Order: sequence, then structure tokens, then C-alpha cells
Amino acid sequence: MEQNIIETDILIIGGGTAGCLAAVEVRERFPNLSVTIMEKAHIDRSGCLAGGMNAINAYLNPGETPESFVKYVRFDSCGLIREDLVLSMSELFEYCVKKVEKWGLPILCDEKGNYIPRGRWNIKINGESLKPIIAKAAKNAGTKVLNWVVASNYLVVDGRVVGAVGFSVRNGNMFVVKAKATIIATGGAAGVYKPNNAHDAQHKTWYCPYNTGAGYAMGIRAGAEMTSFEMRYIGLRVKDTIAPTGTIALGVGAPQINSKGEKFMATKYAHIGGDGAPTPYRSHGPLQEIKEGRGPVYLDTRHITSQQARDLKSAFLDMYPSMVLYWAANEIDPSKEPVEVQTTEPYIVGGHTQSGYWVDVNRKTTLEGLYAAGDVAGGAPYKFVSGCWAEGVIAAKQAGEYAQKNDFTEIPASLVHKEQDRAFAPLLSFTNKKDGIKAYDMEVRLQKIMEEYAGGAATYYEINEERLLVARRRLATLPDQFKHIIAEDLHELMKAHEVIDRVYVAQTLVEHMLYRKETRWPGYCTRTDYTERDDEKWLNFVNSRRDPDTGNIEMLTRPYVQIVPGDRYKPR
Amino acid sequence: MPVIIHADKCNGCHGSNNPPCIRMCPGDLLMKDSKTGKILMRDPAECWDCLPCVKVCPQEAIEFRLSYQLGFHTARLLPHIHDTRDFITWELIDTKGDIDKFTIRTKILPVELDEKVEGVAPVDFSI
Repeated sequence: MEQNIIETDILIIGGGTAGCLAAVEVRERFPNLSVTIMEKAHIDRSGCLAGGMNAINAYLNPGETPESFVKYVRFDSCGLIREDLVLSMSELFEYCVKKVEKWGLPILCDEKGNYIPRGRWNIKINGESLKPIIAKAAKNAGTKVLNWVVASNYLVVDGRVVGAVGFSVRNGNMFVVKAKATIIATGGAAGVYKPNNAHDAQHKTWYCPYNTGAGYAMGIRAGAEMTSFEMRYIGLRVKDTIAPTGTIALGVGAPQINSKGEKFMATKYAHIGGDGAPTPYRSHGPLQEIKEGRGPVYLDTRHITSQQARDLKSAFLDMYPSMVLYWAANEIDPSKEPVEVQTTEPYIVGGHTQSGYWVDVNRKTTLEGLYAAGDVAGGAPYKFVSGCWAEGVIAAKQAGEYAQKNDFTEIPASLVHKEQDRAFAPLLSFTNKKDGIKAYDMEVRLQKIMEEYAGGAATYYEINEERLLVARRRLATLPDQFKHIIAEDLHELMKAHEVIDRVYVAQTLVEHMLYRKETRWPGYCTRTDYTERDDEKWLNFVNSRRDPDTGNIEMLTRPYVQIVPGDRYKPR
Repeated sequence: MPVIIHADKCNGCHGSNNPPCIRMCPGDLLMKDSKTGKILMRDPAECWDCLPCVKVCPQEAIEFRLSYQLGFHTARLLPHIHDTRDFITWELIDTKGDIDKFTIRTKILPVELDEKVEGVAPVDFSI
């Protein structure tokens, strides 16, 4: 095993949606600064955008403003968001979308050349090649790309993040990257809970199954403050394929119906917008129908024409091709029968919900020298693709300014050795002992604990104090078991760290869910012992910080600040 | 079995050490068989069904298959990239053999058949 030591002014960990835009922005604003992307796969098709996208879902269509966007997102997130963060990202939607269009992304326009709106915040794109397009722009900007290097931990000296350590899944080299400033953009976490499908479809998930919370875990281990993990994302998706439903619900205006044909959202949730209710309610509503014996639940597409059905299939081919094959393989015609839906495994993300690093308006984390963008950054839900781009741009600007003023730091050899021992331990365990725990076995164990005690699909995602305490106790044993994990090759070593990282995420998540004693987001975090929303006590952010020395997780709250006036529970 | 490789069509991209399909998999699931020079799927259960490997293969040697628990056999979905690189035609075949086609605008970027990886010798790619 060799050590590659690299010096770069700015290190970006994760070359996905946010990371690529951050790289371009640094190079454009600060041509004197060098930029390196550390990426666990290959940036041409890594991360959430691998399959493509068929819409930009956070955009200000004519008549909308950053303020109207904040009002909507605040309503959609049940009255609690970081308004400063959502405002600052929405101000950059136009800048980012125009930029990526210039790089070659086809955006659908009318005959006058205006983007075609799909609802208040969406425009349609032909985004099958979206990821290679932004990756090329990052490369053209002069970014050094370390493909297939899995980040394992930050280098922290005197409380400042001064780079990161990773290992190559191609040759096992250890990469020690020294940086003046670091941007974390590794995405959120899938696979913390039991996935919807089993066997050879276990990765048939909506969220990218290779996003396994590395950025969260590195921050948790280093003592960064995290926010809102308890706002899990449990999406309403097409049954079996777990394909996004926005393409159907927004694309052709399909309401939810239960097995009796009743439009239950329109009747039971009329007071909060019916089928346009906040996103958690659009998962909570159908769950109640199923729980009370009125399932299956569908999106009613029977009114659409055969041409509309074809357009629907075309839209899925740009983003989620398996949906189209699924219909053909099951003889389903969405214009003749309604599309059955289900809810997903709980994902931890900062782009749909708001779990992640606690950041200031410049996307600076609580650790000196570290900035966060995209799904890994908290407090700003409804980011989707364009919000992640915007955060990459904001983080790049601030990280660049920080790098101009601060120099490299000498890194103690002991720090590197310690991480080297930790990172490669599963390979050594295999060589020395052969017998041990496979990453997959620990993954299943983790998912079983979370599924059964921390609000998995089997319990309709509901939680209470007693169950969570069992989850906490069982999870507490897992870190002691890490030393038994074995990896036969470098791919398995990556898998080992993917599950280790998810254990840190799960432990933090359970503490967050225990701490928030109310039900603010029904469906996402339904407490059977505190069933109501409680603005008097809980209109604030639940944050956590793990002490790097003791491993104890300290919980705290941070106040909500209203910037945009108006009723927090109204969409306009 | 989300992705299958048709060994009769795969030519290993003419001895490429780092062919496009290997590069495009976000899960590090494709690898080269050092004996045959052809591509292997490491573990079908880890596949996300995202299809970049299918679309990028110059030989159309990689085919996406829906896991059988999710759909019946013989339905197929075959993407064909136009030579102009600005359109993709998806050929959809249902279980009865009826064919439907969808042609969609895109912007396919050219890819090299091989690519150097920093600090890595060619032998490290193979199993």
C-alpha cells in the first residue's frame, strides 16, 4: 500500500450535483486556486443524477420570487425551515439553471423560447445526460479529479479541518489530501432502514443506494453540529419501482385515491391543501388509508389520453427508465388503470427534507475550514437539483475566500497513521482472522434494528420513547463490533465503511427522534406518545453534537427565525 | 439480475483497461475478467437500475433486466443512441413481443474507450 500525498487549495469531497458546481465556481472566481474533487465513483455518472433527471423542481417560474418560494417551502415543511438558507439558495436558481443550460442541458421551451412550467416551481428538461454535462464542466474548469477514492475521515488539527483522508478502490492507495479549505458534498444516506424490495432488487431504491452518509458520519465523528435528522424523508413513490410520483401527479394532474375510489386527500386534508398538502401529509394520508383497511392506494391516471401516457413514459425514460419497462413487463397501461403507490424506506437527506450539517448563511459548518453543500447540508429543504447547485456556488465563494486568507497546516504523522489503521482494518482482519462479520451482515443487522424499533415501514413509521430506547441500546453495541468486520477486497472495504458510516448516522438519528417530543411532520416522524404539533415548545431546530473524545451525543435546540412575514402554515 | 452482459457482443473495448461501462457505474459493480477481457457484473443485488452502463456501451452488449420479482420475462427495454448524439431511441418490447419506440432529445457527450486513473497500474483493474 502506497500513500499519495496531495496539496490542493480547495478540496471538494463528493463530485455530484453540488460538488461539480462548486468546483466550477471556485475556478471561475478564484483562478489562482487549485481545486480537487475526491469522488468514490467516477464523476461522469456518480451520485443521485446517474440515471438522469426530467425536471428542475426548484425554479422561480414567472410571477414567483424568493419570498414566495420561502413561503411555500415553509408551508411544505410544516412551518419550520431556515429561511435565511432557503432565501439565499432561491436567489441563485436562475444563475445556476442558465449556467447549466449553457453547458448543453436541453430545457423544454415554448415557441417564444420561454421555459415550459410544470407547476409553480418546476420546468421540464431532457436531462438523461445531466450528470456527464456538469462533470465535463467541472473538468474543463481545471479541476483535479480523484475518481474511486473513498473519503474516510477529515484531517482535523487544532479544531480546523485541513483536508481529508481516503482510500482508492482501484489500487488500495491511501490518499492524504491537504487543503486550505474543504467543501463536503457527499449527499445523504440510503440503506439506514430496510429497503422496500429484497433479494436482487434490494437496491431498487428511489435515493441513490451508494449515498451512504459518509459526509454525515465524518462530521459526526469530528464533532460537527448536525440538525433535523428526525425529519426523515419518506416519499410517496410508485409501488415496486419506487419511482418518483411528481412526474405523474404534477405531470398529468393525478389525485390520490383509495381502494374504494375515494379522493381521500381532497376530502380529509382539504384544510391543508388536499392533494397539494405539505409533502409529509401526502405520505401520511395514504398510510392512514392502508392502515385502516382501505388500501391499495393509487394515483388516478385513468383520465389521461394515450398520448399523455406516452409523454409520461418519455418523461420517465429521461430519469427512471425501469418504470417504463415495469409497465410493459406487467401489462399496465396508466391511461386505463390507476398507478399503485407506496411509501419508501426512510432516507436521511438535506435536499428534500432538511437533515444535515448546521451551517450559517455562507454554508460554513461549525468546524473551522469546512463548508457544506447539497443533501449533506441541513436546514434548507426543497433544494432538489438546482438548490444543491446553488449551495455549491455559495460554499465555493466562501471556501475560496477562506483559502485566500489561510495557509496549509502541518499534519502530524500520528493523525494519518491512526486513520490508516482504522480505514484498512477490515482488510487486515480478513487476512489475519478470516472469520468475522461481512459488511452485508452488519447492514442487515442495522436495518433490522432501525426497521423494528426506530419507525420502519412495518410499524407505519410510527415511533415512541420505549421503542427508540431499545433501538438506542442495540445500536450502542454495533461500534464495538466494527473490529470484527472483514473485507476480502477493496470493493468490500468500501462496503465496510458504508455500513460503519450508516451506524453513526443511525445513532444520531435515534437521539434526534427521541429529543423532539411532538409530531411536527406526520408520516416522517409520527410519535404515538406526542401526537400533536407543539409550536410553543418545539418551534425550533433539534441539533446534536457528538463529543469526539467520549462519543457522547449532546442534544440542543436552536431558535427558528422568521424572515418572510405571513402565516407559516399557508402556501402563499 | 438488473444488468446482464452479452458476452458475444462485448469486445472489452479493444483491450481497454478502463472501459466506459466500468467508469459509468456509480456503484463500482462492473469489472474486467482478466482471462477473457470481457466485462463481469460483480453483484447484481447491488445494482441501482440507473442504466448509464447500458447507454454508454458502444457494442450495446449490456442489457437492463428488471428483477423477476418486479416484472415478467421477455419484456425488454433497449436504448439506441443516434450517431448525431442528440437523440436517443428507446425500443420497448412487451411480454407479447409488441414493440414501441420513444425518441427523445438529449446531449450525449463523446467518451473515450479508455481513461488513465491517477497512480494506478493497468493490472489493478482486473480480477
